[in-house]
Amino acid sequence: MAIKILSVDDSRTIRLIVGKAFRPYDVILLEAANGEEGLATAAREKPDLVILDVTMPVMDGVTMLTKLKEDPALKAIPVIMLTAESGRENVLQIARLGVRDYLVKPFKEDQLLEKVGRCVTLEKRPATIAPA
Amino acid sequence: MTRTIQIPNIREFMSRHLVDVFETMLSMKAVLQPSGTVPVFEERVTGCVAFAGDHINGAVYLHLGTPFATQVAATMLGLEPGDLGDAEVNDVVGEVTNMLTGGLKSWLCDSGAECAVSTPAIIRGSSFVIEAVPEVEREWLIFTSDQNRIVVEIHVKIG
Repeated sequence: MAIKILSVDDSRTIRLIVGKAFRPYDVILLEAANGEEGLATAAREKPDLVILDVTMPVMDGVTMLTKLKEDPALKAIPVIMLTAESGRENVLQIARLGVRDYLVKPFKEDQLLEKVGRCVTLEKRPATIAPA
Repeated sequence: MTRTIQIPNIREFMSRHLVDVFETMLSMKAVLQPSGTVPVFEERVTGCVAFAGDHINGAVYLHLGTPFATQVAATMLGLEPGDLGDAEVNDVVGEVTNMLTGGLKSWLCDSGAECAVSTPAIIRGSSFVIEAVPEVEREWLIFTSDQNRIVVEIHVKIG
């Protein structure tokens, strides 16, 4: 059964890169462009994992994560933070909020897949058979 | 503590960081050119991300010629250049600029100069000049990747 991964990032580029990384896998990729959309999508779709940017307009990743952890129905969803900022204070703040892991941009697809693979089981997408 | 931050340190950090960003995200080798060259601009896509704090503020501009910007976008997204519109190219250049400035921000914060960064903005064209305001120092870093030029312009005001 396909797993659901929610990518929350204001950059369409990052959402596309994340989507490209999971293309070979049996993953349903959900997308949101800010924390507000991300929370609504998470509540509706109950994803197996959230990949969350930090700096976004409307609602940033730290606020979305805080609200996610306050919601009994959503707090168990593992979150991987994706951030362009690797400073000590930034990383400590993220860690205190209870994320499963974090990944600093720039990143390679392999690094993303490795961290996601520690949270959920990634299975190759079943081969499709063309109709006769 | 911010006294330890000087323009040559910022220049040195960005020289390494740009090479890392292009290698990691694009598998492209960027080579820093000797300083002192004043860039001559062609039709280009320019990404801008500002940073601001109590002790330091400024902006990072990434200038890429339009054909190279399109090539960078295609490589990053795994698509053919012909499949990309201006919006996709803008978004990729903005994201690369965001990664450059995010790394600089982290380095500044770890050096005691807390600051925040803006979301990226994009400028397109060939006949525009970015002026530095008084008391702001401007640094140029010019790299090449194959035959393509990558120009990073950093505006900084310390103190």
